[in-house]
Amino acid sequence: MKYATKNVISCMLATISFSLGLAASSTVMAQEKIKIGFPMALSGSSAQFGEPILKGAQMYVDEINAKGGVLGKKFEIISRDSKAKPDEAVRVTRELIGREKVDFLVGSFTSGEGPAISEIAKEAKVLFIALAPKTDRLTAPDALHPYVFRTAANTTTEGRAAAAIVARWKVKRIATIAPNFAYGQDAVTAFVAALKKLRPDMEIVDQQWPKINEGDYSPFITAQMSKKPEGVFSVICCGNVTAFAKQATGLGYFKALNNNFINVAEGGSLESMQALGAEYPLGIWGNAADALNYTPADPATAKVHTDFLNRVKAYTKTQYPPSWVVSGYIGMQFLTEGIKKANSIEALKVGEAMKGMELMTPLGKMTMRAKDHQLTRGMVWGKSVASKDHPFPILSPVEYIDATPLMD
Amino acid sequence: MQLDVALFANQTLSGLSTAMLMFIAAAGLSLVFGVLRLLNFAHGSFFMFGAYLAWQVSSWIGGGEFGFWLSVLIAAAMVAALAGIIESLVFKRLYGRPELIQLLFTYSLTLIAGDAVKKLWGSQPLSLARPPSLIGSFEMGGVTLPYYNFFLLCAGLATAGILWYVMQRTRIGMVVRAAAVDREMLQLLGTRVKVVYCAVFSTGAFLAALAGALVAPTTSIVPGMGAEVIIPLFIIVVIGGMGSIWGALLGSIIYGVTLSFGILWFPQFSLFAVAALMVVILIFRPQGLVGEVQTR
Repeated sequence: MKYATKNVISCMLATISFSLGLAASSTVMAQEKIKIGFPMALSGSSAQFGEPILKGAQMYVDEINAKGGVLGKKFEIISRDSKAKPDEAVRVTRELIGREKVDFLVGSFTSGEGPAISEIAKEAKVLFIALAPKTDRLTAPDALHPYVFRTAANTTTEGRAAAAIVARWKVKRIATIAPNFAYGQDAVTAFVAALKKLRPDMEIVDQQWPKINEGDYSPFITAQMSKKPEGVFSVICCGNVTAFAKQATGLGYFKALNNNFINVAEGGSLESMQALGAEYPLGIWGNAADALNYTPADPATAKVHTDFLNRVKAYTKTQYPPSWVVSGYIGMQFLTEGIKKANSIEALKVGEAMKGMELMTPLGKMTMRAKDHQLTRGMVWGKSVASKDHPFPILSPVEYIDATPLMD
Repeated sequence: MQLDVALFANQTLSGLSTAMLMFIAAAGLSLVFGVLRLLNFAHGSFFMFGAYLAWQVSSWIGGGEFGFWLSVLIAAAMVAALAGIIESLVFKRLYGRPELIQLLFTYSLTLIAGDAVKKLWGSQPLSLARPPSLIGSFEMGGVTLPYYNFFLLCAGLATAGILWYVMQRTRIGMVVRAAAVDREMLQLLGTRVKVVYCAVFSTGAFLAALAGALVAPTTSIVPGMGAEVIIPLFIIVVIGGMGSIWGALLGSIIYGVTLSFGILWFPQFSLFAVAALMVVILIFRPQGLVGEVQTR
């Protein structure tokens, strides 16, 4: 009996001191750290892009923390694998808010995940910065709310930039191929609308809609070729370019199109070219978040860009700095400067501070527009050519197309 | 809609090359189900390991003609050996358990395999080059068929032929068929049923890995490919009838061709055609087209 009482008491004491300890440590944590919940596609075919995005954010955070953080607090990134699936993204985001009590949400990869996370952010009143989803729906007037911001480009600007390039082609019959979800549909809509204005004589002769992460594109490719297009706008995304390009090359697709083929959705990214190596089709158009051989025309920007790439190289310990890193980096830049300007980590204050904010990013000056919470983010574009300096092709000549004039 | 001969031929051929590749993996799934009564969701993981190991082996021994074929065979053999070990450690405990348990268990293995692959090879997609002799394509009257796809067609048919011969015309096949019908009786007659089960399971994994290694040059090798492929494989064996080799062949052809013409006619609803077909077949022939009504 005596033993039992003693046990009970010591057990209670242990529990109390343990929970006190926990409470104490969590208050200390709350004072010290700004927690960033980071839902990102870290598995499946999108992981090749999701991981560099996370690294970019982490690199920025490490640099800021080394300088003492912001408002005297250090950042901590808590990442979760969203598997590029909206339902999984929702699950991990709720967990980040509920259990990890994160102060901000930064991340998301696909256009399925972005709007889903945005809904939760609004409900939980947590500021969310979307790093990669491009669907126009995310910041459309009826979906916009004070807690969502986007540092990715969007489908309107991407579709319009591509249409400007396609409009130069001396052909008439155009086809599209895009994954059958928000991103693919929105990008095609924007492209077709812009093309109709630039080249009313061009005709859309075929539209293919494979599902996202389709493994076998052959039937789509042969069906498209049967309609005899002379040029194609492709939104094959999310790591699927490799499979698509291999199968299309085998079927003589690019040859039949005379290389009048443009793949948006970062089809020209270093990651895709590295994955395919010599099998990457030459002479086709593509875009990317950044490119290692891109040199901004403005000398000040060029200096920032080169310096950035060198830091990425050292940080990721890779010979060729991945192109998606910049997306994670820019997102964290805006959040940090927003916090500094607001002098607070309250979601609404930081959001208010970010509106209209102009920052020097590794790709040049960009503005977070107040009216639609959309960054004036452009992309780099170019044609794939073999490179004697790299074991894979590069985009050349590579140009950065600013999104500012393409937005409204 | 107009439908010229070349278009019809192209669409059929691309559907059939999909079909034959799927068949090689589906035959393994169907065999394992037919004999072991095991609903193996992890079959897709063997497919994935086949692709990764083919890449790994070819990076060790070098690519090229000889390197490619040897890598494919070594990869499939490695997966078969691995499967044999896993069977005798884990899977054998699943025989005769409710299907829900089998499904949940093998699904968990799929998740573990996906993470293991990420740990071993990273999440960057890998790419395996075609053998030099099969680069390029036939072109005749508007019909284009890559040599590699032609090879896949032949490989699928050869697999079907070999499986049929072994199952129907050899003693091994007889024992396997007997094991499917009455395990206890076979045991009483002195056959080591455990060994038969293990061998059948390994063979199933071998076929999955072979398909995975053969698909590698036409696609990108990514950690999620095992989970992606298993759904179509199940659709195929359900359409054809669980446990039947001919059912798997018929199911694969129907799947591939329906998909490719669905894409041509209803580009935005291409998956609908296949799913609708499965629903119709499940309503009117729940045992599948070639399957027999289960008596036990």
